[in-house]
Amino acid sequence: MNIENTQSQMRKGILEFCILSVIRRGEAYPSDIVEEMKAANLNILEGTLYPLLTRLKNAEMLTYRWVESNSGPPRKYFSLTPKGEEFYGELQATWNELTNAVQALTQKNGTF
Amino acid sequence: MKKIININFYSRVIPIEETAYEILQQYVDSLRRYFANEEGRDEIISDIENRFSELFDQKLKKGAACITDADVNAIIASMGRPEEFAGEPEQPRASASAGAAGSAAGASGAGGGQQQSYAPHAAEEPRRLFRAANDKVLGGVCAGLANYLKLDPVIVRILFVLITLTWGFGLLLYFVLWIVLPTKSLATSARKRLYRNPDDRVIAGVASGIAAYFHIEVWIPRLIFALPLIVGIFTSVFRNIWWHFFNWGGHIFFDGFGGSLVVAYIVLWIVIPEATTASEKLEMRGEKIDLESIKNTVKSDLETFKGRAKEMGTEMGESFKNMGQQMGTQIRQNVQTFSAEASGAARRHGTGIGHAIGVLFKAFFLCIAGLIAFGLIMGLVGLALSGGGLLDLKSYVLDGFWEDILAWASFILVLVIPVIALLTWLIRRITGMRSKRHYLGYVFATLWIIGLISFVILAGMVINNFRARAHSEEQFALVQPSTGNLVVKARQMVHRDYYDQEDWWFGNEWRRGWRRNDFFYTLNADSIQLNTVQIKVLRSDDSAYHVRILRGSLGGSSNSALDRARQISFPVTQTDSVLQLPAGFTINREQKFRNQQVIVVVYIPVGKKILLDNSVGRYDWFNVNVGRSHINWEDGRNDYSSEYDDEGFSLENNFYWNSGIQYIMTADGLKPVNGMGKYGERPERPENPERPERKEKKEAPEKSAQPEKSGKSGQPANGSYRYKAPAPKRDADTPVPKSSTMVVLPRPSVATPHKVVAAPHPSPFVLLSSMFI
Repeated sequence: MNIENTQSQMRKGILEFCILSVIRRGEAYPSDIVEEMKAANLNILEGTLYPLLTRLKNAEMLTYRWVESNSGPPRKYFSLTPKGEEFYGELQATWNELTNAVQALTQKNGTF
Repeated sequence: MKKIININFYSRVIPIEETAYEILQQYVDSLRRYFANEEGRDEIISDIENRFSELFDQKLKKGAACITDADVNAIIASMGRPEEFAGEPEQPRASASAGAAGSAAGASGAGGGQQQSYAPHAAEEPRRLFRAANDKVLGGVCAGLANYLKLDPVIVRILFVLITLTWGFGLLLYFVLWIVLPTKSLATSARKRLYRNPDDRVIAGVASGIAAYFHIEVWIPRLIFALPLIVGIFTSVFRNIWWHFFNWGGHIFFDGFGGSLVVAYIVLWIVIPEATTASEKLEMRGEKIDLESIKNTVKSDLETFKGRAKEMGTEMGESFKNMGQQMGTQIRQNVQTFSAEASGAARRHGTGIGHAIGVLFKAFFLCIAGLIAFGLIMGLVGLALSGGGLLDLKSYVLDGFWEDILAWASFILVLVIPVIALLTWLIRRITGMRSKRHYLGYVFATLWIIGLISFVILAGMVINNFRARAHSEEQFALVQPSTGNLVVKARQMVHRDYYDQEDWWFGNEWRRGWRRNDFFYTLNADSIQLNTVQIKVLRSDDSAYHVRILRGSLGGSSNSALDRARQISFPVTQTDSVLQLPAGFTINREQKFRNQQVIVVVYIPVGKKILLDNSVGRYDWFNVNVGRSHINWEDGRNDYSSEYDDEGFSLENNFYWNSGIQYIMTADGLKPVNGMGKYGERPERPENPERPERKEKKEAPEKSAQPEKSGKSGQPANGSYRYKAPAPKRDADTPVPKSSTMVVLPRPSVATPHKVVAAPHPSPFVLLSSMFI
């Protein structure tokens, strides 16, 4: 068993949830998302982000619009769709479940 | 100092170092591969590229002159490499390798199913033997076995072929397995696979593929394949000529081994696939497949390709150079894209029966080409070895300055040029040089055609010299022999053994054969002796012997032919009843060789005898037939009708004779005088036919008549010279002798002192053509 694998599995699990929460706060541009997550100590590679965003967009959780800028190519700004909102809601519920469960289990060990 | 190129990247022009651009390209392509099955792949990639462009723009705005390698690498680091991506693509194809850099998830070119340490489906059912549905030449049996045994399918195929060839049951086993095993789409499970290397090939890259697999130098397997074959060819050639030197038995090794290695090479050519994509090339060498190594491979490919493109470019000028480079990179892009896309599907288009048959055809044509080349080389070698002797002869045939020049020109151009071209091609192939300009082929071809044309012209000119015929004739004042028997003898030729100094070069039997085969006898500085003499025996119209001597020659015109004919010196003498003919006649360089011939016509009256000595067997008649017909000896009769023989003599009174046998002329023709007691019995004769006392013994004792066998006693194995005229067969069973002597069997001929090798008469045409060189 490789610990790194497990760790990355753990991270992978919550990735969509985190991204959606960032976008939920407001229209976001991919590199902004990366910045925010870095600030929250969750390092994510841009290369991981883009496919994820595209998948979410294809699943109609997200939508985007092009914003022209004079310093650079036009950028995609992502925002949550209603369906995405629903999705997010469910994810949050799951997350709460999980945290409670884990807390309960780990407290018994005496470590937290 | 690095080259900068400008790229149009999402509608901005970005100056970027060429090497940086390549890095970017490779990254994008690795992304393409990674997302090969992803639904929104293009979009993802365009997003990423967009991001790149934005970052480039920022950098440039900050004052950088151009984008460097470092910049690109930094952006890629922050972007992350595909194998580091945390997000898993939809298909469970590249399994859980996120975060674990270095494993080959991104390189899907290796075919799916790379064994990961943490594969979710690692706990499989116990491995079963299947036939591979996706990797089959015939039925996928070998690939299935290979998958089960975790081997390279190529190796399993080779083993199968070997087993079939040596023990034979491999074929049966294959069919059984084919029927029995179920199919399944299998993934290949070997890391290091045997490929053919298409980049470094002389014929098909088999040797270099093997070298790459075993990590040995390329020339080692090449030598192993080539050496027994070449050595075998040469020793077999030499063995036929100088067999006492080479008859050491080792030829079994070389001949057999060389041949089987050729077969092995062809089998390997069919079976081993070609490494086309970069990842296949890496597999060929057994290197780790990841982005780095792919990058390096692609880079080296690009370098070589660029090198060639550069050469093309420097020649054709600036504009072409740019175009070439752009095309090159574009083509490379396309190839890589294609390889990425094709990786998901069945990987090799190079397998299958069609491929096998194609290879067999290619190998077959290669063999033919090789044989032709070999023949050319051997022809040249033969000419080189014998050329010295033939060079002298050349001046006898060719007349004049122009003919000489043409002869040399055609010889060199027609024969030597293909060999030079071949050698050049071989050397180029082996050393891997590419020809920058392709004009060399055209130059060679043009020269060769010039040579051919000059050869044709030369042939025409020479043939012209042989066109006209003429002959002169005279009557020889013959004293009637007192004994009623005329003996015709020819002088012995005194050989100047000009070939003696080469005696060590050829074996003994060669020398003897040479002596017999020669149509001329001696060659000294200025002249050669010919023995193109024929003796015809006719029935005389009156009761006296007559002798006519006809000398003929060809020439450019009738006059020149007649001149030449008259120049033939053929002094005939008579001593009592022996008609002594010279051994031959001489022609010198001035006269040129023009198929000078002499016919001695002897007329025998009825009731008289004639004996033609074995020495006349030395005469060697041939005709050089140019155009319509040969020398017209008698009254224009050359219509090949059956009433006349080749020389126009009427067959009515023109008779067939064997030397060494005494004949008597009857009203019906020549009949042998002496019989023999038993078949095979020979009359006593002294060994040397030249000794004078032989004259008496020639009139051999008459013996009692025996029922005759056929007049033609088959090809006498020794000694006697048979006059080759188509003659009506003397019916051996004619019972009644019409003259006073008895009709007897022809005696088998006398053994001559020399052991004669029954050499075939050299075809005049072969000799003629050899004269042309």
